[in-house]
Amino acid sequence: MLIFDIIVTGLMMGAFYSLMAVGLSLIFGILKVVNFAHGEFFMVGAYTYTLLSLNLGIPLWLALPCSFLLGAVVGWLTERLLMRPLYDKYTTWSVMRDEYAIIVTFGLSLFLINLANQIIGPYPYRGPQLVDWSRIEIGPLMISGHRFVASLLASAMLAAIYLFVRYSRWGKEIQAVAQNRLGASISGINSTRVSSIVFSLCGGIVAFSGGLLAPLFHAYPAVGIFPALKSYVVVVIGGMGSIVGSIAGGLLLGLLESFGAVYISYAYRDTFGFIILMIVLLIRPHGLFGEKVREV
Amino acid sequence: MRGGSRIRTVRELRVSILFLAIVAVLPYFVIVPYWRGVLIVAMYFALVSAAWNLLAGYTGQFSLAPAAFAMIGGYGSGLLCYHFGISPWIGIPCGTLAATVIGLMLGRIVLRLRGPYLALTTLAFAEIVRLVISNEYEITRGDLGLSVTPLFEHQLNYYYLFLFLLVVVQIGLYYLVRSRAGLYLQAIRDDDLAASGRGVNVVLWKTVSFAVSSGICGLAGAFYVHFIRLASPELGLILQTGLVIAMVVIGGMGTLIGPLIGAFLVQLSSEALREVGLSHMLFFALTVILFGRFFRSGIWGGIDFLRDKWETRSESKEIMEAGGSE
Repeated sequence: MLIFDIIVTGLMMGAFYSLMAVGLSLIFGILKVVNFAHGEFFMVGAYTYTLLSLNLGIPLWLALPCSFLLGAVVGWLTERLLMRPLYDKYTTWSVMRDEYAIIVTFGLSLFLINLANQIIGPYPYRGPQLVDWSRIEIGPLMISGHRFVASLLASAMLAAIYLFVRYSRWGKEIQAVAQNRLGASISGINSTRVSSIVFSLCGGIVAFSGGLLAPLFHAYPAVGIFPALKSYVVVVIGGMGSIVGSIAGGLLLGLLESFGAVYISYAYRDTFGFIILMIVLLIRPHGLFGEKVREV
Repeated sequence: MRGGSRIRTVRELRVSILFLAIVAVLPYFVIVPYWRGVLIVAMYFALVSAAWNLLAGYTGQFSLAPAAFAMIGGYGSGLLCYHFGISPWIGIPCGTLAATVIGLMLGRIVLRLRGPYLALTTLAFAEIVRLVISNEYEITRGDLGLSVTPLFEHQLNYYYLFLFLLVVVQIGLYYLVRSRAGLYLQAIRDDDLAASGRGVNVVLWKTVSFAVSSGICGLAGAFYVHFIRLASPELGLILQTGLVIAMVVIGGMGTLIGPLIGAFLVQLSSEALREVGLSHMLFFALTVILFGRFFRSGIWGGIDFLRDKWETRSESKEIMEAGGSE
């Protein structure tokens, strides 16, 4: 049952991709900018999980929420210190906001990578597996135990994020600001606070996925580059700013890669996503589910 | 823009010529081959930064692929040299041409995209090129890289060759920027809709800017490969692009001299910091964030601003002394 195997592997990887990307998508929804330091939030989570559990002996189920918390703090700081000029209406940067966001987040990305390199060192740490079972058999399938548990957790997290944004009060405020920042402000929503919430939430989610995937990706300073690139592909496929879109985009990318790796070329599995990204941006810039790009 | 953009450009050219003149006499004081090598690398980065600045600073097309185009140029020449034994003097123009043509095509493709969409597309392009080069082991020798023949025996020849290229590119960019075409590019950067309303052929000039910028990157990459005698996929890493962006932002985006200042400052001080044992990249990343956040116009922008302030003050003093007659 090769095909069944490919589908399950693809979907599990896809769930991870979705979890990595959903934060990027939310930030884009609120601020209309791409966070190029996204991968470094992932790194923060991977290091937190790995170092807490290996060095301090903190139990794994507690280390994961710690990843989330530290990621949220980093996200909050990023928004507080670097993203505020984007809302100022009368500065040079409000005209060149895309450039500003790219420069600052790119700088932040370099900064965090080198900070980790300086403090923790360039050597990779392997994160401990969540469960002891190395293989689970489900019918004809053999799945690595950690991957299976991690993909369940990722799905649960995605569902929680979806419900949070859809139904909670803060979530509704996020939706309102994403639709129309000015309109939301007029109806009494504190849009600055919403941006803070979104950034903390996104930092937390990405860092959580970093912790979750630390046994697979390990923790080292540049670990975030790969997940960040995957997240860009996912949000572009799914449409920037849409949660359902990034979930669908992630699953699609996971399936595409696992099919492509088997039937097209294993060495080129990482390029498929980029090719799709370029094609989608050129043909349908708002993605499969995303908002329309106003200016083309 | 504050008044007199033409005067501003002339001033920038003068300062860059002065700057390059200082660089030209530097080898008489810098005897250590290592530091001469550092200066050559700085000149390579100055070329790539100047090219990227034309695209991002003057045309407003924030591409994330300059390192990829340098890599294309380098491999264009490197492959010809490695497989067919063709002289670098023929290979380098071929590499440059390859980068220009690919730049033209990419520029044409990404025409409609802007902001984050453009950045992501060019990033994807850069990654595809890098992955193809590191995967096609039979042709490119993958991550090991191609060893290529050097151009000269002597290091000083490389030094003056790169200096010559830098002078040519700088003067060429000066004429481009102050020409009608340069004004078109800046008009597109400021507002492409308004520019096209005024009769600027936005499609044409955006593409031209992309092609010229990629060509210069390719040229720099092709020469650089023969200087370090190795064409490797590391030339095209995203971190290299990050370095180029850092240089331009620190020096001053959208100015002629900014990339020069930035490239030399970053390259030289990173070597100096390395000797002290500090992480130089940490320092520059922080500098980029701070500059991006607080001084958008970079070092040259700061100098220019102070100069303007001083001039207006002395002018107004003159007017006051003349009795305030308007």
